[in-house]
Amino acid sequence: MKISNVSLVALVLVALLLIACGGGAAPTQAPAQPTTAPVATNAPAPTNAPAPTNAPAPTTAKSNVTITYMASQDWITDAEQELGKKFEEQTGIHVDYQIIPSDQYFNVLQTKLNAGEATDIFGGQSGVTDLKLQYNVEKNAVDLSAEPWAKQEDPLVAAQATVNGKLYGLTYWDTLGNVWAVNYNKDIFNKYNLSVPKTYADFKAICQTLLKNNIQPLFEPVSDGWHHVLWFPELGPRYEQVTPGLADQLNDNKAKFADNPTMLDDLTQLKELYDLGCFGKNALSDAYADRTKMMSDGKIAMTVMSTGFPQEVEKDYPNVKADTWGFFVMPLADNQLLNVNPAGPTKFIYSGSKHIDEAKQYLNFLMQPENMQYYIDNSPRANTLPFTGAKNKFTPELQAFFDAYKDKRGTVYQTAVNYVNPQWIDIGKDIVGMFSGTLTPKQVLETIDQRRADMAKAAKDPAWAQ
Amino acid sequence: MIRNKVYPFYFVGGALLLYVLFFVLPSVMGLYYAFTDWNSYSPEVNFIGLDNFALIFSSSQGYLRYISNTILFTFATIVTKTVIALGLAVLLTRGVRRLAHVHRMLIYLPAVLPMLAVSLIFKSILNPATGLLNESLRNVGLGFMAQKWLVDINWAMPSVIGVDTWKGIGYIMVILIAGIEAIPREYYEAAEIDGASGWQAFWRITIPLLMPVLAVVTVLNLLYGLKVFDVVFVLTKGGPGHATDTVYTIIFDEFSKGRYGVATALSSLLFVAMIGLGYFVIRFMHRDTEA
Repeated sequence: MKISNVSLVALVLVALLLIACGGGAAPTQAPAQPTTAPVATNAPAPTNAPAPTNAPAPTTAKSNVTITYMASQDWITDAEQELGKKFEEQTGIHVDYQIIPSDQYFNVLQTKLNAGEATDIFGGQSGVTDLKLQYNVEKNAVDLSAEPWAKQEDPLVAAQATVNGKLYGLTYWDTLGNVWAVNYNKDIFNKYNLSVPKTYADFKAICQTLLKNNIQPLFEPVSDGWHHVLWFPELGPRYEQVTPGLADQLNDNKAKFADNPTMLDDLTQLKELYDLGCFGKNALSDAYADRTKMMSDGKIAMTVMSTGFPQEVEKDYPNVKADTWGFFVMPLADNQLLNVNPAGPTKFIYSGSKHIDEAKQYLNFLMQPENMQYYIDNSPRANTLPFTGAKNKFTPELQAFFDAYKDKRGTVYQTAVNYVNPQWIDIGKDIVGMFSGTLTPKQVLETIDQRRADMAKAAKDPAWAQ
Repeated sequence: MIRNKVYPFYFVGGALLLYVLFFVLPSVMGLYYAFTDWNSYSPEVNFIGLDNFALIFSSSQGYLRYISNTILFTFATIVTKTVIALGLAVLLTRGVRRLAHVHRMLIYLPAVLPMLAVSLIFKSILNPATGLLNESLRNVGLGFMAQKWLVDINWAMPSVIGVDTWKGIGYIMVILIAGIEAIPREYYEAAEIDGASGWQAFWRITIPLLMPVLAVVTVLNLLYGLKVFDVVFVLTKGGPGHATDTVYTIIFDEFSKGRYGVATALSSLLFVAMIGLGYFVIRFMHRDTEA
């Protein structure tokens, strides 16, 4: 009796294990399924029947649908939320904005995409590598090439949201009229007789003068995990100037970050600025959300912000006028070139969404000329949008800045070089490690190389095949 | 034989089926994926032997640091929570009589709060520039003690351990109070008659008789410590740099990067460590009580 009981239990266990082994093949194939029988194939269907997209924001039949849109905290502006309310008034479609803290956004998004539970629209940074590696848009996003606005988009910007000839995202962001530059307080510079730096030595001297006069030279919000990284890949044009063809060599796996002396200079100088106290005593806990507050009281002289920052400060603190601020390019590694990034926060429609048509309606609504203009006029950071017909609101100062660098510009490395942008937050952690003394600048570069190799091998990049 | 008659074997069938289906099978499958290159970039899943484990244990990748951080966190929280909770438990059973239940409730209160809420509050309290702690220290003339609690590489881990201890001691204390109250008072009376001091009674009566409860508490703390995630993620996100990254924050990180194979290898490693260490602790402390 006892034996038969034991054997029965054993039998059940063996049977279950066999089921598990038999079923085991299915899960191993599971990741293949979406590519062999792509979910995305369901997605183009609505584009074949584009009736709703050609009739944007219909006012007749209102639906009671709610579409969800998840993005990093700074990507959804007040102006867009206002447009969302207007959209709901016209169509009955409610847009539920899910705003995630920026330092956690990519983890949350990746987890949701990997689990097949993304929102109807999700935000992501454009850039061909990111589209393939971070978001796997061919599986996770709907092809938007046939949308009426697709041809309006600046070709340089659209190329960053295109994979294999298909446009997957709407880059509703001021990528071209808004660059990351050092915004400096002209009053402080005038008071201490300082002028725009041309080299790193000039820049360091400015910081030291300010420190002597108890002015914090720079506001650097490290706690968000991403902002301080700008100092490194945004200087791509300089790396390219010193080593022509470097981006291609890096993409072909014929060069390494760790072997590049200009990159090493950049990080070494960044560390020196931190050690000198140029970022203030609380840089590691300073937050990007406090940027206008921190810069409004004239106690900090400079910060790396977008060129729309002066308008942001004026909006929050009307007594601090936009013309208080001037601009210059980040001068680490003696850089004197303007950093241009045609990639930016982009809206993708999730291929697994049940409301693809409604999501398309929302994007079409945003692209109507009056709504684009409303967005530009009411988003302090947007000077224009990368679409034909969009007007700009450059200040004379900003126009002069762009004119000065008209022929001295290049593409930033997070866009020009593969496998850099997907590790942005990791690089941020490494740089904090460098600030704290646990990593050297050289080790930071080696770690970047290592992560690039890991990603490239996982993606079966032929350049890393050997 | 009698037992067989009272409880037929198939009584366990349903539970066994569910157990196998929801616990054994996922674990076995998880172990299998730990030996593959499963990732989100490629639809193929290939068997790669011990490569994932070699990666984890290679010195160049930093995983060893996350493992040592996890061990440090686990060891420190076991010691701090158990010692403080034991002290409070003794105090509130043998020492403080007046309003003892109110004190117990107040100390237990943090245990019922969500870790997310506690961590967010402490993140604000520990802000070096505007936080309550540093402001208070400065206001009472102890400004020299103000630290960059969560952003200084030397203070981040102790701060995380401190917050976790604050939240966890109430729960441990309640378990220990139950254990202490189960010790017959006669032992203490007999010891008192024999002239034993309070300290001697504590070491010779309370501790030995509390050992089974201490074993349970240690195992609970051990398992909690090894799989710590939320408090670290909210307070420091593993920073500054990677100073407070633990195995689970890295598993989350690897999974979100789509490197499922490495993430599964890490969680399998943790699974084995939890079983092994839990078993070892129970055996060790049980043997101690028997001795």
